[in-house]
Amino acid sequence: MVGTKEREVIMGAREEILERLRQVKQPLLPPRPVLPPLREFSFSKEELLERLIDELTKQEAIVQRVESAKEVKAKLRSVLEEEGITKVIVSTDEVVKPFDFPGAGREWGISIRPHTDFTDRDQFKKVVFEEVQAGLTGVNFAVAESGTLGIIHDEQEPRLISLAPIAHIALVPTDRVVPTYEVATDEVFKNGQRIPSQFTFITGPSMTADIKATPFKGMHGPRRLIVIIFDSPEEAKG
Amino acid sequence: MKARTEEFNEIAQHEVKNEYARAFLGLLPPIIAMRRVQVMGSFPDPEKALALSQAIRAESVARLPELLEQFEKNAVEAGAKVLWARDGKEARDIIVNLARERGVSFVTKGKSMVTEEIGLNEVMKEAQIEPIETDLGEFIAQQLNRPPFHIVGPAINVPVEEIRDLFMKMGILKEDTTDPVQLGYAARLYLRDKFHHIKLGLTGINMAVAETGTIINVENEGNIRFNKSSPRTQVSIMTPEKVVPDMKDAMHLLRLLCRSCTGQKISAYVTMDTGPKKRGEIDGPEELFIVIVDNGRSIFYQDEKTREVLRCIRCGACLNTCPVYTKIGGYPYGFAYSGPMGQILNPLLLGFDRTADLYHACTLCGTCRSICPAGIDHPALFLYYRFREVEMDARFRPKRRPAKERLFFRIWHMANKKRARWDFSIKLSRVMMKKYEKEGWLSSMGQFFTGWFKERDFPAASRQTFREWWGQRKGR
Repeated sequence: MVGTKEREVIMGAREEILERLRQVKQPLLPPRPVLPPLREFSFSKEELLERLIDELTKQEAIVQRVESAKEVKAKLRSVLEEEGITKVIVSTDEVVKPFDFPGAGREWGISIRPHTDFTDRDQFKKVVFEEVQAGLTGVNFAVAESGTLGIIHDEQEPRLISLAPIAHIALVPTDRVVPTYEVATDEVFKNGQRIPSQFTFITGPSMTADIKATPFKGMHGPRRLIVIIFDSPEEAKG
Repeated sequence: MKARTEEFNEIAQHEVKNEYARAFLGLLPPIIAMRRVQVMGSFPDPEKALALSQAIRAESVARLPELLEQFEKNAVEAGAKVLWARDGKEARDIIVNLARERGVSFVTKGKSMVTEEIGLNEVMKEAQIEPIETDLGEFIAQQLNRPPFHIVGPAINVPVEEIRDLFMKMGILKEDTTDPVQLGYAARLYLRDKFHHIKLGLTGINMAVAETGTIINVENEGNIRFNKSSPRTQVSIMTPEKVVPDMKDAMHLLRLLCRSCTGQKISAYVTMDTGPKKRGEIDGPEELFIVIVDNGRSIFYQDEKTREVLRCIRCGACLNTCPVYTKIGGYPYGFAYSGPMGQILNPLLLGFDRTADLYHACTLCGTCRSICPAGIDHPALFLYYRFREVEMDARFRPKRRPAKERLFFRIWHMANKKRARWDFSIKLSRVMMKKYEKEGWLSSMGQFFTGWFKERDFPAASRQTFREWWGQRKGR
């Protein structure tokens, strides 16, 4: 911790800075311009999904569209086999949990371990950094305007699962598709609600163009982002 | 970072002849600028979208003290520790102490311009704590010990052969290759091991949301996410003006930031942290420190004009369209901030005496102002700085202009005070110009205006003046 003497200095700094800022008489601000709403607000569900897939594809995410939740497992299996992935870590969020992927993995001969197998931070880090080839997660939102996945990080959704392994596989139920960022942030940062320690927007795989302006994927995070979109159970019924 | 702003002219003259860098500057900034225009088109009304982000920045700066307190309150409530620092030294001490107390031998860093501004890396090294830049461009620039060439691509101008040699020397590249992708992956492997074992991650902050106490980082590579996920301690540093009123405003600014910065709709990763990790989470920091470093900003907040500089969100759009930056690149600006952004900021941070060439190196064309998502009028600020300099305003620590220049303008002032004097001085200068004229151009005027003629010619005087011509017309 910071020592007492240093704390005094720091507290002094706070007062000094704020006091100086407060001395300034604030000008009246002109009214803000009114912005026409983004086009995505007038989209139908199908159009939103179309925009989402279009934007995801532009960011070089691999999109797999299946009709219902029932087909998700088979699709995941074929994705894993195609990519040659044999070791996966899976989160326990409410999108992926009902599928019991660890059980399915045992049938397929693919190791799919939930993060809850690990209670020790260092052990968990060793697995995500060195052992698995993919992280499997659900999403809380899929934002159509830019093909962005919104993920709340909490006990069920560790941060490193979607970051450290070379591939990230995300499951997107269609009822989690929203038009814009604000629809997601209004929900996550609602007044009086417990705000998650981290909320992340993911748009395509990790990327850079820092050497010779040559763009490539997989700089530090995943090189591959695979998105499986499926009709959420409720919509499938209707 | 040791500032070399005094050497602006020397470095610029050198860089303008750097063909490799020039080839990049001729290509890349225009492409980013074009992409920016294209992707702005995704707004139903791009002009209004720009105006709104400008209004948000104006309001954020106007309400700065109130928003800062609100941000601090909410961040602390969420479990973050907020530490204030008057200047670079205090901020460096805080961070070095935090690292020392945790017994770390190295820290990984996400790209943060303010840590370059306060020269954090140098001090950490002295304290035997190795600071490792993890943004690929920053990593290369750090190893080569160079200032950032461009705020978005700090080492984008470095030839691949040089990067290959560097990586071979560091022992992180096994095969001899100049393929940018292979070079990138070599850096990935090297830094991945660091990310795995870091105890303390250091990041900057793009926005701090007052309403929720949230800090937001925007990036493409994922290195900042690692810095915020893997270590047990996270230290994030910001200057006061990063604060914005609420999440709605932050989302609109995010759209403008990414479009202006790289011509993307959104960067690959945007992380919004509110406090440290909660109980039961297996990763994320157990303790989150937010360092707010003022470094002179509350002082230049007092002046209505210079306050405007605090609106800047460091997107770098002004670099890409600047006719000066796109010829000389980032090195001549001699500090963490380059282009028009650096020309308005560096003088306030370092004093006018060390930065006079910066705010004079401008054609006042105004493209920076026209695209600035923060609504900064850069050319007006340059004129203001020049004005304060001539007036010897002590607040800005100016140096007197050269005696020759001052004498010239005193004469100029006298000569233009009365109509008759003006007419006479025009006649006199026309005679002078005739004397030095060669085939319609002047390439020198003896001992006069040597500064001008060092780099440029001047068109010869026309046969008659406009007034003479106008007089004849009226007579017709």
